[in-house]
Amino acid sequence: MTAIRLALRLGRWGLIGFAGVGFFATFVNAAGFYAIAGHTQAERQAFGRSFAQVASQLTVLLPPPSRLDTMGGYVQFRGYGSLAIVFAIWALASASGAARGDEERGLVEMILATGLSRARAIAARIAAFAFAAFVAALAASLGVIVGAIAGGEAFPIDRAIEAAVLVTALALSCYSLVLLVAQLVAPRAATGLAGAVLLGLFLLNSLSRTFDSLTTLRWLSPFRYYELSQPLSPDGSFDVQATLVLFGIAVGAGALATLAFVRRDLGSALISLRTSAGPPTYEPSRALVWRMPVVRGLYDRRISLTVWSVGVAVVAALFVVLTKTMVQPLLAIPGLAQYFAVLMHGAIFPSFLSFIWFGFAQLLLAGFAITQVARWSAEDTDGRLELILSNPVSRTQVVIERAVVLGLGALLIAAVSGVAVGIEAQNESIPLDAGRLAEASLLLVPFALVFAALGALLAARLPRATIGILGVYAFASYLMVQFGPIFKLPDWIQNLSPFKLFGQPLIDGIDRTGLLIMLAIVIVGFAASAIVMQRRDVGA
Amino acid sequence: MPAAAIRTSKLSKDYGLGRGLFDLDLEVLPQEVFGYLGPNGAGKSTTIRCLMGLIRPTLGSAHIFGLDCFRDSVAVKRKVGYMPGDMPQWGSMRGKEVVAYLGGMRGGADPKIVRNVAERFDLDLGRRFREYSSGNKKKLGIVLAFMHRPDLLVLDEPTGGLDPLNQQEFYKLVGETRDAGATIFLSSHILSEVEHTCDRVGIIRSGRLVKVADLDEIHRIRLHRLELEFSPDSEVPEAAIRSAAGVEDVVVSDHTVTCIVRGAFDPLLKTLSGSTVTNLVSHEPSLEEIFLTYYKHDAPSEAIGP
Repeated sequence: MTAIRLALRLGRWGLIGFAGVGFFATFVNAAGFYAIAGHTQAERQAFGRSFAQVASQLTVLLPPPSRLDTMGGYVQFRGYGSLAIVFAIWALASASGAARGDEERGLVEMILATGLSRARAIAARIAAFAFAAFVAALAASLGVIVGAIAGGEAFPIDRAIEAAVLVTALALSCYSLVLLVAQLVAPRAATGLAGAVLLGLFLLNSLSRTFDSLTTLRWLSPFRYYELSQPLSPDGSFDVQATLVLFGIAVGAGALATLAFVRRDLGSALISLRTSAGPPTYEPSRALVWRMPVVRGLYDRRISLTVWSVGVAVVAALFVVLTKTMVQPLLAIPGLAQYFAVLMHGAIFPSFLSFIWFGFAQLLLAGFAITQVARWSAEDTDGRLELILSNPVSRTQVVIERAVVLGLGALLIAAVSGVAVGIEAQNESIPLDAGRLAEASLLLVPFALVFAALGALLAARLPRATIGILGVYAFASYLMVQFGPIFKLPDWIQNLSPFKLFGQPLIDGIDRTGLLIMLAIVIVGFAASAIVMQRRDVGA
Repeated sequence: MPAAAIRTSKLSKDYGLGRGLFDLDLEVLPQEVFGYLGPNGAGKSTTIRCLMGLIRPTLGSAHIFGLDCFRDSVAVKRKVGYMPGDMPQWGSMRGKEVVAYLGGMRGGADPKIVRNVAERFDLDLGRRFREYSSGNKKKLGIVLAFMHRPDLLVLDEPTGGLDPLNQQEFYKLVGETRDAGATIFLSSHILSEVEHTCDRVGIIRSGRLVKVADLDEIHRIRLHRLELEFSPDSEVPEAAIRSAAGVEDVVVSDHTVTCIVRGAFDPLLKTLSGSTVTNLVSHEPSLEEIFLTYYKHDAPSEAIGP
């Protein structure tokens, strides 16, 4: 029990944060349904029909919708489709931290030194995460119930609990899979490889809805078993067998992870290539890059920047490939074809690409910025900043160098993905304005810098809480764009979201006001960060 | 007259609840090796972080070679080599990359010194930081602090984690660096360590400087707790031991004697000449014990209060 309590304590901020995210996501969706779907049965059926036509095309990424004329069906599609991804990301971060991060910090060594067996240590982490995930999933269910009450309806508690069990099962299966993968490779590669495995399993299931050749393999993906249940929808059901498979994956992967953990040395990978030890070196690296400000930061991040650039470019190309697949069925609906022709001035494919790709690219660039800010916070809490500042560099210089490195990194990612979109669009015969594509891709840089500037300010003041606060802000900003128009929020509130400020540059060109506001946030944020940094204690 | 290498005036950092650093007046002369001695939590690292401009003092000032440690922190750090108490994590970076990264940031790092120090401590710079043992991490900290021939070295518990041979090598390096004209300010919580290397020692306790002593006084402060076992057929010279100069707190139990020896061992050893001693163990008491014993006899009681 002590080990479980310790694991819960180590993960308490994750529990609190994801419970908050879960509650907020489902509540906003539930309340949003009542705001936009109308009040009569006829209005809701009409809403459900029209929304289903659009929603069915998003099944490339999200599970197919059911009964969108009901709050339950709507939240199941909009809320729980995304929650699966959010909880999987939580499982990734939590499990890779438990498997390798705590090991790097020496915590696992100390825990095992108390006499706790490795099997029990892993079991305690899995049990603690299961508890935390269930509590967070219950919070999400509570959001549905409270949203229903706000809309003047009652929602069956048993279905809300089934939804919580389903999300918990998925999160737990992802957690155990990450625990297993993290045992196989070196600590520095664990999170990346486990993330790639989860992403692969997610895409395997998602893309199998579009590409028939993948259907024979989708049983491998836990996301497949997740989407077999739709407990919130009146026509849906809770598939006990599929949910048990998810728990089975959790138990099986957990057992294999335990076996691997028992067989490997602490700090090492289960699978490692034997390298021959060369003669010792007493010379410092003579590479010039270490002596050049900014370049040294980029060089230090060369692997992660390459992974980000290639990864984002691959996803970008995939979106371009899928654009026609997704849009053409919509064009077959006579009313919608007319609607698209009027609304999008005939440029249907570019408009769709703008909406779906650049919407997703913003999320990715926000994620990139947050990972870099996380690194700044880690520099502070791990003591690297103290050692950096023991050199003759000013604190302002540190802030500026961080900003420039992040900006150039974002530029690289945006440029590579822009080129990928351009090339693939040409292959797919989607007419894109090259200038607009370049503008839209470049606009991702100030967009990323907005998160970086806010992160820099937070990292200078509250390094330990930075990532949590910035993550919540990013999530709230994204929801603001989704729900601001539904709830008729004032423009100035919606403009607090960088996603709103970004606009639709591929179709409409750059929104200069939005760009100016973003640049203002960037300048003020980094300037304030430099001032706060100047005044604060480091290493205290 | 040249500026003091380090000068603090009423330097204070108040963390509340009596924790922190209070009214520190300290002067370290150029080319001096100054030991900063105190138990854990006494305020050594706080003092060092104030000197490095990492934390802002609540009151008072700190100057290095006449430069204000906070206002002129960039200029100060050009002259200083710093080694933190705990080396931060550099993950998968290799030792040589850490040296190049921080050396590039600082400028003026001398590859010859890097090679020399790394060789002396047998530190393989080709290995990744996460593969280093705690001793190797300390050695990397030593390389980073010495690599640019600083005028002043500020070293926070530099020998913790080093084995005795490397400790000796470190003491030699400190001596050579001092002889080359540098000033060294090093903190420790072990009296015998600073005794090896330092010209003067400042003793800090509960955030207050309680004593600045030169080497002679250090020897006087220094004491050992001894445990002597006599052969069953040998008489214990209890009276002689009790009356020996520098011997205190004598406790006799059967054929075992425990006592504290202050200063030289010679007077005690002379009392044992007619007896058969089967075992003799000497412990260096903790700094706290030394303080308590020292102040019980030699200092006004108010001097040790916080």
